[in-house]
Amino acid sequence: MNLIDFLRRSVENYGEKIAVIDNEKNLTFIQLYEEIKKFSNNIKILNEEKIISLVSENSISFIIAYLGIINSGKIVHLISPEISEINLFNQLKSSKSKNIICNQVIKNKISNYNSIKITILDIEKILLKQNNKKIQYNINDLAYLIYTSGTTSEPKGVTVSHSMIEFTTKNIVKVLGYSNLDIDLLPLPLNHSFGLGCLHTSLYVGSTLVLLKNPSNLEQILKSLKKYKITTLAAIPATLTKILNFENKNLENYFSEIRLIITNSTAIPQKTVIQFKEILKKGNLATYYGLTEASRSTFMIFDKNNQREESVGKCSPNVEIKIVNEEKNNLKIGDIFIKGDNVIKKYWNNTEADKNIFHNWLKTGDTGYFDKEGYLFLKGRSDEIINVGGEKVMPIEIEQIIRNISGVEDVVAFGIEHKIFGQTIKINVIKSKNSDIDKSQILSYCIKNLEKFKIPSKIDFVEKIPKTDYGKVKRFMLK
Amino acid sequence: MNNEHETKEIMKNIFFEVFPNLDKNDFSWEKEQKNYENWDSFAQLNLITFAEAKFNISLTLEESIEIKSANDLLKIVKQYLG
Repeated sequence: MNLIDFLRRSVENYGEKIAVIDNEKNLTFIQLYEEIKKFSNNIKILNEEKIISLVSENSISFIIAYLGIINSGKIVHLISPEISEINLFNQLKSSKSKNIICNQVIKNKISNYNSIKITILDIEKILLKQNNKKIQYNINDLAYLIYTSGTTSEPKGVTVSHSMIEFTTKNIVKVLGYSNLDIDLLPLPLNHSFGLGCLHTSLYVGSTLVLLKNPSNLEQILKSLKKYKITTLAAIPATLTKILNFENKNLENYFSEIRLIITNSTAIPQKTVIQFKEILKKGNLATYYGLTEASRSTFMIFDKNNQREESVGKCSPNVEIKIVNEEKNNLKIGDIFIKGDNVIKKYWNNTEADKNIFHNWLKTGDTGYFDKEGYLFLKGRSDEIINVGGEKVMPIEIEQIIRNISGVEDVVAFGIEHKIFGQTIKINVIKSKNSDIDKSQILSYCIKNLEKFKIPSKIDFVEKIPKTDYGKVKRFMLK
Repeated sequence: MNNEHETKEIMKNIFFEVFPNLDKNDFSWEKEQKNYENWDSFAQLNLITFAEAKFNISLTLEESIEIKSANDLLKIVKQYLG
């Protein structure tokens, strides 16, 4: 099955049902499919091109354009609306895309970029064209191209095939129990694997997807839970933690009908997991571990009987994960490798990056270990290790401890040069609202909870920590 | 600004935090690094980090290396505090 087959399935089974809601607009599955076919026909002018770039915030138009491009037999190159001129230039150069489709506001912005010389088309104008010709297209094996978010290095192009999407979507449904009865709230950008996976799942099972544009608008998220009788919410850990701080009263009421909150594997504070386990009376918080290159490779459901709040769970069905270390022992920390039908075969025009895929095993760059029951624990990225006088320290371990301190909203740990130790640990801390915590209080907590060589040697209080849209710290910006 | 008594109390507490097994009766200003069970290079770094945080100062590498007793650290801190 390809993505368009997903949609056709829901058109046949639930044609008159609302497929997607965007503020006051909504479309049934039949209407959505008709708009997509129209869009595909209207971009036939671009027939010669294999790839079309799409830049848009969350909207129904985005979904029509995304599926319309795929339906026309082309690959969608997904780009964040927040992209800088230099990154856009580099991505277009690498992807060899000759056309950008976007809305008028983004078109105005990109048109001012002197380095961008390709055709820029307006989504809404394409949608307004009348073209009733029926054109038969052959769906490309590849569905979309995303340049990975660059948390540690230069972006790499990841092409995702329809068979990978089918495999991953079926695993999501099997493990997390999505069905046509669900109403899914999505305050996540659709130009990323997390948000896209939610869209694909809704199309596949025939649930209703409610789109929100701004993941930081907590008031809108909470109001939407009630307004649309939401049953599942997808949100990054930072959003969930902020919700706990934003609205302490009546949270149980807002989440009373929720059967599932799905978050991703960016370090989620243990106290956030524990609090949501209490709040969700009829449902569970769940997380997963995955990369754009290997989506949803594990799942973890934080049910009341499982105390592994820091685990990302067990391998997804038919996905293998191995830990590679000197001891050849999965129970000891090592590099994480993934194999399965959710894993890419190669990167887009990048033979250097292809070296990370060997005999179908993807070297993720992450490190971790399994416990005896097969639960995976992440310990950070191998290129983030801080070497303090020969002792290896994972930043995530420091961050997890410090996040537990009352008065700390967020923290990032990283290595700084030191003439004696080579490196020592620095932390940048964001204080919680009204917190008067000082550096020595943080150090006292660290002394009690960390080994000596893991105690930060420098602490700065900061207003912001540089992160991607999905909450991953851009560590290269801290060096 | 801290007076001398306060400074000394803060300094003593830093030692008790960095060396949690240090008995109150076993603390002395002159006791040397070699006579502490756990005063290794990492503990040295922790002591300096604590002192810098508590007194809002920043020690040079040379000053950090010279510290061999509580008294050494106290002297350097007092110099910064004027």
